[in-house]
Amino acid sequence: MSIIKLLTSSVGRKILMAITGLSLSLFMAFHLFGNLFLFVGEAAFNGYVEKLHKLGFLIRIAEFFLVLFVFSHAYSGILLWLKNRKAKKIISSYSKENTSGAAKYAAFTGSIVFIFLATHWSTFWYKFNFDMRGMSYYYVVTESSVGFGSPLVSIFYIIAIALLGYHLKHGIASAGQTLGIVGTKYEKTYNNIAAIFWFWIPLGFISIPVWFGFLVRVI
Amino acid sequence: MNINLKIWRQKSDHQDGGLRSYRLENIDPNISFLEMLDILNIKLVKEKKDPVAFDHDCREGICGSCGFMINGRPHGPQKATTVCQLHMRAFNNEDNILLEPFRAEAFPVIKDLSVDRKAFDRIISSGGYVAVDTGDVLEANSIPVTKEDADEAFLSSACIGCGACVAACKNSSAMLFTAAKVSHLALLPQGEKEGKERVVNMVATMDEEGFGACTNTGACSAECPKEIGQTNIARLNREFIKSKI
Repeated sequence: MSIIKLLTSSVGRKILMAITGLSLSLFMAFHLFGNLFLFVGEAAFNGYVEKLHKLGFLIRIAEFFLVLFVFSHAYSGILLWLKNRKAKKIISSYSKENTSGAAKYAAFTGSIVFIFLATHWSTFWYKFNFDMRGMSYYYVVTESSVGFGSPLVSIFYIIAIALLGYHLKHGIASAGQTLGIVGTKYEKTYNNIAAIFWFWIPLGFISIPVWFGFLVRVI
Repeated sequence: MNINLKIWRQKSDHQDGGLRSYRLENIDPNISFLEMLDILNIKLVKEKKDPVAFDHDCREGICGSCGFMINGRPHGPQKATTVCQLHMRAFNNEDNILLEPFRAEAFPVIKDLSVDRKAFDRIISSGGYVAVDTGDVLEANSIPVTKEDADEAFLSSACIGCGACVAACKNSSAMLFTAAKVSHLALLPQGEKEGKERVVNMVATMDEEGFGACTNTGACSAECPKEIGQTNIARLNREFIKSKI
């Protein structure tokens, strides 16, 4: 069986989703590491962003793969969703009590996260790369109208990241099943690490708009 | 006890169906659910009406013939129980009970509560067997199998192929069924030889038959009358990945 045939089978598509999803989760941890410099101070955060900029070409390659991963994850997800819709027949009394919310709404939460990513790229990413006009990166994030200077941006950010966490609650567990980790001796470790990714890392992201968008203005 | 039934009636897959109401009175709570349907059918035949079609065979919970949705759940409310092993005492007097067939595009309705599950047979014929010549009957311990593997394989082989997993799944996926078959053979030395082709072919047939893809919700295992676990699906995935490496 060719690699194409492998990747177009339902199990193959899910393996692709699992690998791209887990890679993006790892990137998220790296992204949060950078964001937390905001709490250290303006100089530290600006310095970190400058350092990333200096990597230049390497960053562009990484970005290319990130976007490729996001789109292949979404593409496989949509194809599976369509296949599943076709396989289903409406049943009036069908009970969903054995399906968790995170699993039921994974496609929905994924779609919201995608919309969030699109706005994230068109605001923060675009500004940081092409539209700084001598402003400090720290200022753009904490004070400007594309950043947490706008309560609407802060609220949308908090909701989107919370939904991302919910998406990952199902997604990471699902990836463990798809990659065959469930039922092996690594299952427990995997589940413990999964909790970091679906709970603690999103919480870390949320702490930034909560602090810079709201608390810092009140205190 | 008295019960109010609502049953899906459909003459064939090409015709539209609908729910019809029936009332049964003075039902002994200790009869089985299928016996209750027998009583209904005797009544319908006496009234010169078309009896309700439903599948059944052994009525001992081991053949996998019976099964339909009772109040939205495959095989009804009782855990790890096929519909033939369900008794009327699981319900209350004057309960409303809604019966519908196991629905999926891959399971066309034959009539009423009876659906065509031959898609499962076709998944099995694409690899759910051992074709290598294993020769005459050997001395039992000449092929060593660990106790753990034997137990696991036995649990996987307990699948009766009733289709409850497909009916329970929001995607009408046949992953649990396919995974149970792949697992039970993958765990034993006799099945190992053809392991790679087996998993690839069975997954391909499962896709062709029009079942949905698994989204790992676990609803199948929760409703499975034989309690086939999610680890089977993980094992199928492992086998699938292994077949490529």
